Amino acid sequence: MTGALAAFAAFGAAETATAWPVKTVAARAAEALPDNVWLAVLYMALALAGLGALVSGLGMGLIYLERKIAAHFQCRLGPMRVGPHGIFQTVADTFKLLFKEDIVPARADKALHVLAPFLAMTSTVLMLGVIPYSPVLQISDVNIGVLYITAVSGLGVMGILLGGWSSYNKWSLIGAMRGAAQIISYEVSATLALLVVVMFAGTLSLSGIVTSQAEGWWIWRAPVVGGIAFLIYLTASTAEINRTPFDIPEGESELTAGFHTEYSGLRFAFFFLAEFINMFVVAALTVTLFLGGWMPFHVGGANAFNAVMDLVPPGAWFLGKTALVVFVIMWFRWTFPRLRVDQLMRLEWKILLPIGFANLALGALAVLYSLYFFPGA
Amino acid sequence: MMHDAALTVLFYAFGAFAILCALAVVNARRLLRAALALMFVLLASAGLYLLLGAEFLAGIQVLVYVGGIVILIVFAVMLTSASDLLEDHPSLGRMLAGAVASIGFLAFTGVVFARLELGPPAPGAHPPDDASAIGRKLLDFGAEGYVLPFELVSLLLLAAVIGGIVVARKTPPRHQPFTSGGDAPGEADIAMPRSQRDEPEGPHA
Repeated sequence: MTGALAAFAAFGAAETATAWPVKTVAARAAEALPDNVWLAVLYMALALAGLGALVSGLGMGLIYLERKIAAHFQCRLGPMRVGPHGIFQTVADTFKLLFKEDIVPARADKALHVLAPFLAMTSTVLMLGVIPYSPVLQISDVNIGVLYITAVSGLGVMGILLGGWSSYNKWSLIGAMRGAAQIISYEVSATLALLVVVMFAGTLSLSGIVTSQAEGWWIWRAPVVGGIAFLIYLTASTAEINRTPFDIPEGESELTAGFHTEYSGLRFAFFFLAEFINMFVVAALTVTLFLGGWMPFHVGGANAFNAVMDLVPPGAWFLGKTALVVFVIMWFRWTFPRLRVDQLMRLEWKILLPIGFANLALGALAVLYSLYFFPGA
Repeated sequence: MMHDAALTVLFYAFGAFAILCALAVVNARRLLRAALALMFVLLASAGLYLLLGAEFLAGIQVLVYVGGIVILIVFAVMLTSASDLLEDHPSLGRMLAGAVASIGFLAFTGVVFARLELGPPAPGAHPPDDASAIGRKLLDFGAEGYVLPFELVSLLLLAAVIGGIVVARKTPPRHQPFTSGGDAPGEADIAMPRSQRDEPEGPHA
């Protein structure tokens, strides 16, 4: 029995001792294209279907989690009626939402009103496409990965702005303006934090960044600057996804529901879903950049421990770490009170941004003099 | 073969989309829709850069133009009350100036295209990992490098940033020389136009 276990552990170690070969779905499709067009088409269809399933599954799961976590933080039970512990509550809610009447305000700019939720959703789905879930599970590894993510998230801002503008409602407009101002401000700090990791990893590709963390995750392998960048990124991206304590774009007590006040039915669902999946994207990126992505947790020298850690498949590592970050972001919501608009702007421009620049400069020095922890361990 | 066919189809699709959206930019009656169409033009041209293999340039195009410039334009449209300004009957002088400008530009582009020989890019014209190659070019101070233009542009941007701060900065009222001068809650102006704030005007004590 123990012999079999040891053999299994050794097998796991041997499996993972080699460098992690990354193969994306897009690469497989490109490989199949010259021989068999339909195989390539099948890969693409598979990727699209997977994205669709991911979006709906994540949406429902995260909304259920949010409600349950909120409830338990407040000593409530949360949804309990539909299914055991209410796990089918979001499914029921989704069906209800889909069958609701879709209302467009009479004086709204109809075309833009219809387009806005799609823009928000498109940006979210485009980001899901490049996240490395596991060495074999990534739709496309664009070699400008980090740049692509920051660029595409700009489309989401347009969705929010246009949604608020086209609704012909002052709450919507104020919410949209606040949202856009907040997102484009905090984008600066988030990007500065990303750049630290890009410098250390020496690549913009997300898979490349994950594989660069084989010796240690950047949060501690980049001396101190990695930890600071992690904190800045987590704060700034919590603001970018409009979550408490930075949820003034839809502060219920002031703005009804902010930019999506006038939305109902499917289009409201799109905004709502985009918001929740953006939370997943942020958590996934935090994991990819700072917490080693799908890399297992290793302790230098503790070979037996490392072998056991290697038994857990990379996809499970990724999912577990992401779930942890998602939980922390939800935790924020029940811990910090909402900021005022001016406090929000001051936090970004007078606190986060200077720290971010100083951190970037220190990081550049560290890279220049190769001051890594665990160099080539 | 399939690969080239797919690229050709994509090229014409992006091109047609860009032209249609560019027509929408100049023909839209609402300023905000024109801004939105402009965003799609810029996205389509980013797609064309991608087809040329210039991924980094495409990313920067989307990041700077879509995520920055277009959003600034939309902000400007929303903050000024000119958003529902419908130019149904422009004045004669305006029509004349517009006609001169557009015909002049058409002639200019016509001349340029007539004298230009456009062909497919030579194989290997762009380095495979173009982000690092661009970085090296920008900081190279040899004959092939671009360090001087790079520094000049950063100086220009610095001047623009300082100018922006000077224009946006509130001067403190003369009888209160030691106030924070726009530091305190008034910064809400960044997010909200003056007309939509419900607090009264005046210095914040």
